Amino acid sequence: MLISSLKIKNFRNYSDFKIKFNPEGALILGENGIGKTNLLESISYFAFGKSFQTSRDLELINFSKAFFRIEAEFIIQNKSYSFEAASDRSKKIIKINNLNIARISELYKHLKVVYFSPNDIEIIAGSPVFRRSFIDQAISQYSFEYIEALRIYKRILKQRNALFKANYSTKEKRAWDEQFAQVGTNIIKLRLKYLATFTPLLEKYYKKISGAREKLNADYKYSFPNDDEDIYDNLMDHLLRIEEQEKHQERSLAGPHLDDFDIFIDSHSARNFSSQGQKRSIAIAMRLVQTELIKEKDDDTPILMFDDVLADLDKMRTERIIEMLKGKHQIFIATPNVTNYRSFGLPEIDLKHELGKTSET
Amino acid sequence: MFNGFLEDLVNNLKKLPGIGSKTAQRLAIHLISKEKADAINLAESIKDAVQSYKHCSICNMLSETDPCLFCEDSTRMENVICVVENTQDAYLIENLHEFRGRYFVLNELLSPLDGIGPEEINFPKLERIINSGEINEIILALNPSAEGESTINFLASQFEVKNIKITRLSTGLPFGGDIEYTSSLTLSNAFKRRYSVTE
Repeated sequence: MLISSLKIKNFRNYSDFKIKFNPEGALILGENGIGKTNLLESISYFAFGKSFQTSRDLELINFSKAFFRIEAEFIIQNKSYSFEAASDRSKKIIKINNLNIARISELYKHLKVVYFSPNDIEIIAGSPVFRRSFIDQAISQYSFEYIEALRIYKRILKQRNALFKANYSTKEKRAWDEQFAQVGTNIIKLRLKYLATFTPLLEKYYKKISGAREKLNADYKYSFPNDDEDIYDNLMDHLLRIEEQEKHQERSLAGPHLDDFDIFIDSHSARNFSSQGQKRSIAIAMRLVQTELIKEKDDDTPILMFDDVLADLDKMRTERIIEMLKGKHQIFIATPNVTNYRSFGLPEIDLKHELGKTSET
Repeated sequence: MFNGFLEDLVNNLKKLPGIGSKTAQRLAIHLISKEKADAINLAESIKDAVQSYKHCSICNMLSETDPCLFCEDSTRMENVICVVENTQDAYLIENLHEFRGRYFVLNELLSPLDGIGPEEINFPKLERIINSGEINEIILALNPSAEGESTINFLASQFEVKNIKITRLSTGLPFGGDIEYTSSLTLSNAFKRRYSVTE
């Protein structure tokens, strides 16, 4: 899939901007602060229904304006699609081919973008939130069933948390527990299945990038005592045991919303026992596996965005990655420094020049 | 541009479900400009209906009479009760002409977020009916949403000890639907609850 044109109005630092793209993608050039990330952010809005930086649309609206609006033409499996999104302070509207979409999840069905962020190192080094959001995003792009299960789970979680603030009967709690554990178990099973396919590929890609021969593994970490077999029963039992604690803290203290996973490098936790360089390579390898699995499922290739992430790798690693992907994906690379990338032959977009054309400030 | 009575009218129309600002304005202008007699009739029938309809003291159904026509009808089966969320759902089921038992309207579904627990869904009243011993099947005809499912779980757990048949509406493929475009959750439900075509 690819994007052929983009029109943005009042989005971040853009007040009125139009641009066309080539099928192979572009090197997006410009000094820091000129809006390279914002440009990538506007395109990926159509893949996730929100920004990759914030879930609050309000922050995306250009300072002092009332709304933002983005329009784009995409080609997906050789058919062309027009997408538009607009949001004011109170509501957002997203349309595909002029029809309002009922749920954000419809975007996941159509358009796949993999965004290699400079913060991706947090997937290895940071708190569990980063890993959960990685795995939730990756599986949502891979399985529609997962998006649905996640949506329902979030709703039940909210209701269950509200229950702890009220007086409830044992049977009422059990009614919510049963559903919570049922949908929660579904989510966990889909995650385990994904990780089982993910891990062997992770090692393969890590090897390709780093040339190193370390063994990589991913291990799912439950927020409750579990043995992978009777997830539902184990979760239900645990919920009974922790009722007093949950009541005290007024929220749900076990379930997939608190689960985590560990990456092991030669059987040591990558979080604690790997160098910055290794962490960075693992993070990029994870995004590449995400890409690979979308490709397997979709018969189409996701759009790839590198937001200044390759800068920290040496030239050889960067070349290995780009050679692997070039010609197969539409690739956008945002960078203040063209020299590292010129050899890849991507068309160059000088943002300062483009902004000048449409009389931007 | 709208002020006085007209502004009041627009604001009151806007409170109705499915009516936004534009529609409210169009309706308000229509009401005051064309066929004024029709508009007065409408106002009166709203008033009549609102004043004469209340919840049936037995089943909670909105009704002009108390008990409602369903509860009074002695030809209906006394031993089957269909639990629905609201009066409208009861009428939808009634229009199928498939069911000749009693109804019970919860008026709400369990939702801790909105402060709705067993009391608010009229559970004590339902329990009294079930405890009377006449009922041998409870049909839980509730939405398959997070709130509906929890309400089903809750009611089922309350009555499971009573040796009563407890059923729920099946969830699965819609008639005239297409497997390709069915969500996997629905499809997996339909698969689990598949039934024999030769029996």
